[in-house]
Amino acid sequence: MTHPHKTRLSAPPSGSSHPLRRIIGLFAAVLFLGTTAAEARWERIPEAVALLDGAEPRADALELDLPTVTQNGSSVPLTVKFPGSRAVEQTVEALYLFAPGNPSPEIAEFSLTPALGNGELSTRIRLNQTQTVVALARTRSGDWLAGTREVRVTVSGCITANQNNGENAMEPRARANNRVRPGQLVDVRTLLRHPMETGLRERDDGTVVPERIIQSFEARLNGETILSARFHRAVAANPYLLFHVDPRTGGGTLELTWTEDTGDSASATVEIPSA
Amino acid sequence: MKNSAFNRRNALKLMGTGGLGLLFGGAAVRGSPSPSSRSGRVVVVGGGFGGATAAKYLKRISPGLEVTLVEPAKRYYTCPFTNLYLAGLREFESLGHGYNELRGRYGVRVVHAMAKDVNVSGKKVVLEDGSELPWDRLVLSPGIDFRWGELEGYDKAASQKAPHAWKAGPQTHLLRRQLEAMEDGGTFILVAPANPYRCPPGPYERVSMIAHYMETHKPRSKVLVLDAKDTFSKQGLFQQGWRENYGDRIEWVGRSDDGRVVRVDADKLEVETEFGTIHKADVLNVVPPQKAGAIAERAGVTDETGWVPVDPGTFRARRAEGIYVIGDATEAAPMPKSGFVANSQAKAVARAIAAELAGLDPVEEPGWANTCYSVIAPDYGITVANVYEVHDGELREVPGSGGVSPMEATPAFRSREAAYAESWYAAIAQDTWGTRPAS
Ligand SMILES: Cc1cc2nc3c(=O)[nH]c(=O)nc-3n(C[C@H](O)[C@H](O)[C@H](O)COP(=O)(O)OP(=O)(O)OC[C@H]3O[C@@H](n4cnc5c(N)ncnc54)[C@H](O)[C@@H]3O)c2cc1C
Repeated sequence: MTHPHKTRLSAPPSGSSHPLRRIIGLFAAVLFLGTTAAEARWERIPEAVALLDGAEPRADALELDLPTVTQNGSSVPLTVKFPGSRAVEQTVEALYLFAPGNPSPEIAEFSLTPALGNGELSTRIRLNQTQTVVALARTRSGDWLAGTREVRVTVSGCITANQNNGENAMEPRARANNRVRPGQLVDVRTLLRHPMETGLRERDDGTVVPERIIQSFEARLNGETILSARFHRAVAANPYLLFHVDPRTGGGTLELTWTEDTGDSASATVEIPSA
Repeated sequence: MKNSAFNRRNALKLMGTGGLGLLFGGAAVRGSPSPSSRSGRVVVVGGGFGGATAAKYLKRISPGLEVTLVEPAKRYYTCPFTNLYLAGLREFESLGHGYNELRGRYGVRVVHAMAKDVNVSGKKVVLEDGSELPWDRLVLSPGIDFRWGELEGYDKAASQKAPHAWKAGPQTHLLRRQLEAMEDGGTFILVAPANPYRCPPGPYERVSMIAHYMETHKPRSKVLVLDAKDTFSKQGLFQQGWRENYGDRIEWVGRSDDGRVVRVDADKLEVETEFGTIHKADVLNVVPPQKAGAIAERAGVTDETGWVPVDPGTFRARRAEGIYVIGDATEAAPMPKSGFVANSQAKAVARAIAAELAGLDPVEEPGWANTCYSVIAPDYGITVANVYEVHDGELREVPGSGGVSPMEATPAFRSREAAYAESWYAAIAQDTWGTRPAS
């Protein structure tokens, strides 16, 4: 995926060359060597193994933020960060999320362009049980990065409540912050009211509610796709996505489209300010 | 329990009947320590549900222990039932409890001061005036503090205009005064936080009680709940109760309907949501994001979440030797942050410490319980109850234990649950501080 504004993005400052940071980085890398074997959770996910096709992901360059304990596995906030500033070739072009403890491990896949800055994004996922969530990312130069995070899912009768009974409306919401300071990215928040029926839920009478999910999401800036995503059943109801757009793209109209497995779609637009 | 010379054997016998109501909380201490081994110094910080119970039960189990309770207030006011006070159903004074019984009947030394610091290696608690209290074991039950500023625009100064009323005291009075001053036809907005926070059903009981106040005093007024969550405790029962008692007076907006507030303007009594909707209130009640009471941070026992990770069986702080933490300050999911749970944890910890200082085996298979009553209207109550255990090294709900009030119930049933809530309050206050309900 090439990006029309690529040339306008200046090389990021090399903040990672601070000597102390380099030492800390080295230290972290050494610490990590001792644990890679235990942490290579992706090796146990056939879909991830197929994707990597023999490549060895680097496990220290991707940060996965999830709560350590959650009392509501039906909507767990997740953020993926790519710490440090990077040259454009080192930014991420593809991101894959897995929940190996779910009935099917795939959560979502994203295609990202440099217009998204360093690619940090947040969503909300479903976790069936306590497990280690896995993220794999491929940079523009073909390197693989990995991150894992264990989440304890506890059942709490005091906290969880009856789920919404899947209304049919597909109601989009979107917002871009227009108060951007120099050097900052524009936050884009998106949400679609949608039940994301897994096809696993039973009604009181024992019949199964058929699967009905949002399958794809696309964000086009002035007509060019800057982000596209494929969602699976493990994306939480009312799919939520927070991502960032670099205002040095020049801004413009961002069109968002969600498409259901039935082919139905919903869309919304937001204005992205320019830097 | 009239006999003030309450002896240890009787206490243990009572503990053994663990399944009984408020005494539930763990297994008995095994063996019978010799009197000489029953000495030791325990300092308890915080005289709320957790701390007062821990101090009392330490002395009940091991009268030889030197137990010092540190709590700045001479009279503690409970959060439970402050919602009923806001509705005009309870006198504020009836929620106050002193420490005379802990002092006089159980021999707890009560020091009215704020603990400023904890010297972990030197095993001392440092008070505001610089004096020190040495301990062999320390119990922290400091409750919560707020993460001022985490919600943009909501700091301590803002809470003077848009109260939280999430600690009982001046904030509760302020909210009540604002409610009284509100014009009929006004909008009361409650901003509800994401999990975890003190008292999961608390915000929803609060708006129920506010609606009751409106029903009886300001019939044209409305309640709006803006929530950072998509689901909440006893949701179905609450929403049904709201419809039955208050029609459409209470509107609840969940996170996926743009209920999450991201900015507060306390001067204008306005809030802004995630997707940019501005809501204007006449009375604005913000329940802010929370963390463990500050002294836990000082003691170095909190983690990056701001709460205290504990060993599930013993409630020993994971990050320090000799320190036990209980109540709202802990990460004890799936147990909710409730007064009932703090009381239950306190008993298990008292038993564990008494056993440890007496050189006995640790308590086997501890257990804990919780019941949260919520009063929706004066004659309409609902509950959720659970029992907890350690399984594979982690806390969990005992499978099949507990439950919630049925969705289908007669008015008489709901009315009985409201009466049980009153009885629960009287019972737990007596169990914790030894105070009897004002008649
Ligand atoms: C509106 C509302 C309604 C509620 N209703 C219920 C209910 O119906 N049932 C229920 O079970 N729970 C209810 N709760 C929850 C309950 O109030 C708490 O879970 C409970 O108070 C927790 O006990 P604790 O001992 O952890 O903290 P607290 O009871 O808050 O006690 C902490 C004490 O520590 C003291 N302290 C703090 N720092 C220091 C220091 N450095 N030095 C000395 N002392 C210190 C404080 O002064 C305070 O007295 C409700 C809460 C709210 C807000």
